[in-house]
Order: sequence, then structure tokens, then C-alpha cells
Amino acid sequence: MGVTCVSQMPVAEGKSVQQTVEILTRKLELLGAEKQGTFCVDCETYHTAASTMGNQGQAGKLMYVMHNSEYPLSCFALFENGPCLIADANFDVLMVKLKGFFQNAKANKIESRGTRYQYCDFLVKVGTVTMGPSARGISVEVEYCPCVVANDCWNLLMEFMQSFMGNHTPGIPSMFGNKHDSIYSPGDTMAQYMELFNKIRKQQQVPVAGIR
Amino acid sequence: MAEGVLSPGVNLEAFSQAIAAIQALRSSVTRVFDCLKDGMRNKETLEGREKSFVACFQESLHSVSRDLRCVRGRLPAVRGTGTLERCELERLSNLVGKPSENHPLHNSGLLSLDPVQDKTPLYSQLLQAYKWSNKLQYHAGLASGLLNQQSLKRSANQMGVSAKRRPKAQPTTLVLPPQYVDDVISRIDRMFPEMSIHLSRPNGTSAMLLVTLGKVLKVIVVMRSLFIDRTIVKGYNENVYTEDGKVDIWSKSNYQVFQKVTDHATTALLHYQLPQMPDVVVRSFMTWLRSYIKLFQAPCQRCGKFLQDGLPPTWRDFRTLEAFHDTCRQ
Repeated sequence: MGVTCVSQMPVAEGKSVQQTVEILTRKLELLGAEKQGTFCVDCETYHTAASTMGNQGQAGKLMYVMHNSEYPLSCFALFENGPCLIADANFDVLMVKLKGFFQNAKANKIESRGTRYQYCDFLVKVGTVTMGPSARGISVEVEYCPCVVANDCWNLLMEFMQSFMGNHTPGIPSMFGNKHDSIYSPGDTMAQYMELFNKIRKQQQVPVAGIR
Repeated sequence: MAEGVLSPGVNLEAFSQAIAAIQALRSSVTRVFDCLKDGMRNKETLEGREKSFVACFQESLHSVSRDLRCVRGRLPAVRGTGTLERCELERLSNLVGKPSENHPLHNSGLLSLDPVQDKTPLYSQLLQAYKWSNKLQYHAGLASGLLNQQSLKRSANQMGVSAKRRPKAQPTTLVLPPQYVDDVISRIDRMFPEMSIHLSRPNGTSAMLLVTLGKVLKVIVVMRSLFIDRTIVKGYNENVYTEDGKVDIWSKSNYQVFQKVTDHATTALLHYQLPQMPDVVVRSFMTWLRSYIKLFQAPCQRCGKFLQDGLPPTWRDFRTLEAFHDTCRQ
């Protein structure tokens, strides 16, 4: 897995989510990127069940179970600021068995779907983030496959992102600072997605059309 | 003589003159012998016959000498005929030219006698082919003289030098004991902290090196005694072993950037050459390779950017080790 940067693209003024995605993909195709199918990243939230709480006042922890179409046989389970578990796809079935301890908050299911582009050694995924039936935002994931050390290629990634995102290029992700020289892993990408989804959940819903 | 010349050396004027002169000479010599054979019949006395015979004989010899006239003028005496013949014929044959000079093909020159020149231009084509191959040989001789001034040889064989004169130092660098190669490689391994070299010999005596440079890339180097034969550069997370567990020396990298670096590494191993001191060559190559530790971090020294066509600066200058894009390098 190469170094990946996941960021949010703000919706353009006066345009819908769909239109902004189209603008982005057209810019990518002008750059010379090739379309290579679709991708999907989804995230389900689990609360620790009240019956398992030992002491009073201990806040329930939230666990996120995520899937990534790039790794179809894996399942990622992470706590916020906590460890990340990379498990087999059967983990979902295990979670059903653990109903007593972890309860699924079905309304909080969030996912990002879109197209996958390849340009030289870069992989770009532009997706529409949806929660239920409504589109909430745009996620852009850029991966530079040959490099495995995060801080080495940040400048390179940023230069590439500037070529098609322009002013909306994000700053360096906070987790890159924690990585130092360790090798980048897929769990880090999922942690970035988790942060993005949480941010979008907290945002106001995007106005549908026109400004009142 | 310029008139009547079809091709250099062929002098038609002189030819026709020579043929006419020879015909005249032949007829006067025949008359001399006829006169000698027949004698004189129409005089009564012996003296008269002798006198007229001598007169007739003299007259025929005159005509012979006339026909063999030299540029110096007529000579009335008979005794000079031998030298006169040689002189006239020499003059004419010099004008005509020697056949062997114009036709270097000896027996195959007889092809030129073929009258059907248009349909089978064999002779002219043959001549052209010979001229071309002579020129080629000459140019090849010049080129080999120039190229031998720089010792670019990577093998121990010397063309054109007999076994006695072969210098002693040359073949030894190709037949080094494996222990020596191991020592050199382990010394280079200790030179740079961020570069580690692992040596194995899965296929006979040729060493295969697996060089790991930081967390950036891995290089597979195939050696022949202490000379570097081939390199393949792959990413840090790519698989460098085959299913057997041996080092995979054939498959290319999946990433375009490392395919480009592989091409540059091949250029480098052709650039660093010193047949007499192969360990210096290996050291220089490893020093050059080490500059790739900042493959993703260094911008191009020429344009200042990181990316060009999606590739980072992959070229490292051989002397200064500065980073350039492949299209920006000078």
C-alpha cells in the first residue's frame, strides 16, 4: 500500500454535489488519468452496550467497522484514537454474534462511492459521501503507490493534488506527523476515512438547490 | 588522347591505329617471305636475277620498316627492324593500356565480354560490389584503430592479438576467487549505513546481490566475477523472491518510477567502467545508487518541481549526484 491522503472537496458555489464531482473528474481526465472502475468505502458505527458498562460515568466507546473495495477480503475495526484491527471478511458475522456487547447504530451508516482513476503511479478516487439517501459531501483519496514512508513524499503528493484540486488542496494529515519513518499501512487510510466521515456527519446538510 | 575515349583507359583511336599498323606489318612481312620463297624468274642471266632479287627483297623490307615507323623517322637500314618493331608497338600498347589494370576481377572479368549488357548487368554490379566491400574494409580498419584507443572491453578475449603477446593483467580480473568477491562486497556493505547488501549464489558462481536502500527501493544486481552485469530496481514493498525462495532476477517492477530508475541504473553500469580495477567500479556504482535515498523528497535541480509527467526526478548525475527529471537532464 502506498502513501494515501484522504481529504474533502468542498462543493462549488451554486452547484450540486454531482456537478462538482463531474468538474473534478473532467479535470482528472484532462490531466491524462485513466478511468479504472469504481470503489466503495463504508463505515458502520457500534456502541458498547450499556449492560457491559462496569463503572458509572464511563463513556461508551464507539467502534467503527469499515470496508474498502480495494481490500475486498478484509474488514477494518477501529476505535477513535485507538488501535486498528485488520480482520477477515467474516468479522461482520462475528459482530452479529457479539450483539450483547456492541450494538449497531444503523442510522449512522455512511459510505463513499465513486470512480477510480490511475495516472502514472498515482491512484485517485473521487467519491460522493452519502448518509442514507442524501449526499453529504465529496471525498478525494490520492495514493502514491511506490512510496511507503509517509513523510517522504508529502511534497510530491501535494504538487499532484494542486494540479487538479487547485486551491482546495488539503494540508498535511495529522496522522503523518505521528508516523515518523514507519511504513504506511491500509489501517492508516481507514483512520483517515473515519476522521473524514465524522467531520461530514457533524456538518450541516448541504443545501439542495439555490440559496434561500 | 581525348577523342574517342569511352571510359578511362580505353583509347579507341590508338586501338584502331595499332590494328591497322599490325595488319600492314603482317602483309609486308608476308611479301618478304614470298619474295624469298619465289625468287626472280623473268631475267635471263644469273647476275641479273640476283640483282633484281636483291632489289626486290630490299624493297619489301623497306615497306616493313616503313610500317614500323618510329617517331624518330624512317630508317633505311634493315638491321634496325627489330628495335623499330618494339618501339612502335610499345608506343601503341602504352596508348591502348594494359587490360589487367582495368579489370581487377581476373577471370570473372571475362563476364564483361557478354554482349547483352542491358538484361544481365552482372559485370557492372560485380564491380560495384567489390568496390563497396573494399571501401568497407578500409573504413572498418580506420574505425577499429580509433575505437581501440579507449578500452571499452568487458571480456578477456583480445581480437587479433596472439596468445604470446596478450598482456598478463587482463584475464585475471575475470577469474577471481569467490572469496575475494565476498570480501569486496562485505566491505562496501559496511561503507554506507542506510544501504545493506545481501549476497547469494543461487545459480553457480555468479553473485546475486540484493541491495536494500533505506525504505525506498530494492535493487537486484547480477554480477559476473566482480563486474556488474545487470540490475533491476524494485519498490520496497514489492516481492523480490520467486516461489522457490530464490532471488527473482527477471521480473520488472510494477511501478513506472522504478522501471525508469532501472533504465538509469543500466546506463550507470555502462558508464562506470574500469576493466583493470573492478572493485572501484562497484564502489562508484553503489555510491551513485545511494543518492536515490531521497528519490521522493528531492525536487529537480533544473525546473524546481517534484513531478514531471507523474514521475519524480529519477536521474542522478554521474559526477555531482544531483537529482534531475529524465526530461530535464543535460
